[in-house]
Amino acid sequence: MLKGFGNILVKELKELIRDPKILLGMIIVPLIMFPVLGAVMNFSMQSAQEQAQKATILVMNNDRGSYSQVFIATLNSSMRVFISNYTDPQDVVNQDELSKYNTTQLIEIPPDFSANMTQHMSGNENITALVKIYSVFSSAGVFEGIGSSMIDVFIGGFNRQLAPNIVYEEKSSIIKGQIKEGVDPGQLSALMISQAIAMPITIMILLTYSMQIAATSVAMEKEEKTLETLLTLPVDRFSILMGKLSGSIVVAGVAAIAYMIGFNYYMGSFTSTFQAGTSLDLVSLGLVPSLFGYLFLGISLFVALLSALAMAVILSAFAEDVRSAQSLVSYIYPFLFIPSFILMYVDINALPLAVKVALYAIPYSHPIIASRAVTMGDYWTAVWGIVYVSIFTLVIMYVASRLFATEKVLTAKLKFRGLRKRGKKAVQDLE
Amino acid sequence: MDNAIGITNLTKDFGAIRALDSLNLSVESGEIFGLIGPNGAGKTTALRIISALLLPTSGSVEVFGLDVVKKPAEVRKIISYLPEEAGAYRNLSGWEYLHFMAKFKTDSKDEIQRIVNDAAEISGLGERLKDKAKTYSKGMKRRLLVARALMTKPKLAILDEPGSGLDVLHAYHVREIIKKYVKDYGVTVLLSSHNMLEVEHLCGRVALLNKGKTVAEGKPRELKEKFASANLEEVFAKVVGLA
Ligand SMILES: Nc1ncnc2c1ncn2[C@@H]1O[C@H](COP(=O)(O)OP(=O)(O)O)[C@@H](O)[C@H]1O
Ligand SMILES: [Mg+2]
Repeated sequence: MLKGFGNILVKELKELIRDPKILLGMIIVPLIMFPVLGAVMNFSMQSAQEQAQKATILVMNNDRGSYSQVFIATLNSSMRVFISNYTDPQDVVNQDELSKYNTTQLIEIPPDFSANMTQHMSGNENITALVKIYSVFSSAGVFEGIGSSMIDVFIGGFNRQLAPNIVYEEKSSIIKGQIKEGVDPGQLSALMISQAIAMPITIMILLTYSMQIAATSVAMEKEEKTLETLLTLPVDRFSILMGKLSGSIVVAGVAAIAYMIGFNYYMGSFTSTFQAGTSLDLVSLGLVPSLFGYLFLGISLFVALLSALAMAVILSAFAEDVRSAQSLVSYIYPFLFIPSFILMYVDINALPLAVKVALYAIPYSHPIIASRAVTMGDYWTAVWGIVYVSIFTLVIMYVASRLFATEKVLTAKLKFRGLRKRGKKAVQDLE
Repeated sequence: MDNAIGITNLTKDFGAIRALDSLNLSVESGEIFGLIGPNGAGKTTALRIISALLLPTSGSVEVFGLDVVKKPAEVRKIISYLPEEAGAYRNLSGWEYLHFMAKFKTDSKDEIQRIVNDAAEISGLGERLKDKAKTYSKGMKRRLLVARALMTKPKLAILDEPGSGLDVLHAYHVREIIKKYVKDYGVTVLLSSHNMLEVEHLCGRVALLNKGKTVAEGKPRELKEKFASANLEEVFAKVVGLA
């Protein structure tokens, strides 16, 4: 059916890989991009920490003594504190208490807290008082661990006032409504950072690159005047279109892998400090997508990629040369960058409705949304995204193939010029 | 002899511009037919419509009995088109370019090799075929493309200004090749040129095009006799009322 497709694909790959412009983009851009990204991240990390000062916390006090009251009062001076009536952390989780108070942190003060404090204060320094901290882990963004690290800071300060090491904490994570004892959310989120950032970035790069490449491969045919010959060959126009799309996907895929390697080096400097001595297993915690999840993620990415490519092909069909094709395509970039950056730092469900709708409407946000969703086991979000983007892609692909099937692909640029001429003429008429 | 191209009342508008105006033309199988006329006469537009690149605004065009609007895919199988302004893929070598093009004609490796060898001979590029096309001069590129258009021995070769950008010697060489392909392989050739002297040496019949209309048609010798002119340029000037 797609006769000539293989021939065209091979030619596309040869042309693209041998093009110095494309190779340059693969090496130069990451060199500039990663340092900039690092600066942005540090900045937002700081501002998030400042925000967390006003953090809200839920306290579950099972201690009857007076020391727990002192502890809570001190806590109250630096954070907004709510007291829970439950006695079992699992109940708190099951009853959705945390979201009622709009917090992700729960502190449990065990029944022996005051007794242990008293023992310690009266000279028995081997006995210390325990508080248990439970942090909700939602895989929402980079700053997941900040809430719990605020508590670290608080307990450090508390101990400095009373006695060193008198209170110690035991951290647990609440993952998908399950309490995972002993899993430190700070370490967990450090591990997840690479996923939270790496995914949007890779997707962003993959999409922009392949759009850039697809635009180049169409515009190069125009600039070098090879398109006219190509269109008279005994080959299905759809094969030409698909050859261009596939060539772009392959080259962009290679570029994305190159980026990921560079990105991992870069992230390595962040995460190695956390990972030392950590034996967290994301798979056993259910924080790595299942096989199904990966499948959905792959499909989601693929349809988004196709829609981006077809869009690039359409736009570049109106350009006269490579440079103007690339600048035409760059008008789409904000639609790629903005969702990526927003979703990198914020959970989509935490956004106002209007912003949420806007993000869902942009097809390129869906692979990122899907990557979060499938990690948390929410497949329906991914599936609906795939359905939506597929419909979008089909429409765009249809337009692209119509464009290729008719004379427009050849004359579009002249029409463009004609419009400008007509505009000029109108201006002259006015004068 | 049967009809290679039949054009009836062909009109093509680009917005407000009428590029072809009720053009009628027929080209017989096995002949070299020349469309001549000044820049903007509509030659390229006519050739593009015959090659199923553009759609007519009205009128009909048949290539060996196949309607170019209804059966463009069939038409593409039997024609080979050389655009007026054309390039080769910058990053492919001449060889790779010819191989790429030959693969659309056949799947047989032997035949592809034969086709490419023929093209190498037509182009006269020799060892330079190993170099990337971006290193070629304008004339070398043109020879590569002319070779590409003829190498498959199509039923109909549509050549838009085949001699443009070629020096006298290479233009002569290309004319000889075209004649040879018509004689030896029964290729029908429709070409355009604004160089009327070149056409006189090459074409069995010509049509003079002006403002999208045929203003005269026939064998070069007959036209010269009819208008009592020394060459086609003079014929043209007389026909459009310049002399
Ligand atoms: N794609 C196009 N869009 C608008 N006008 C065009 C287009 N192609 C050709 N024309 C116009 O049609 C007329 C005939 O052009 P063309 O066929 O290229 O002439 P020739 O090849 O004889 O020099 C010219 O006036 C030209 O400006
Ligand atoms: Mg022309």
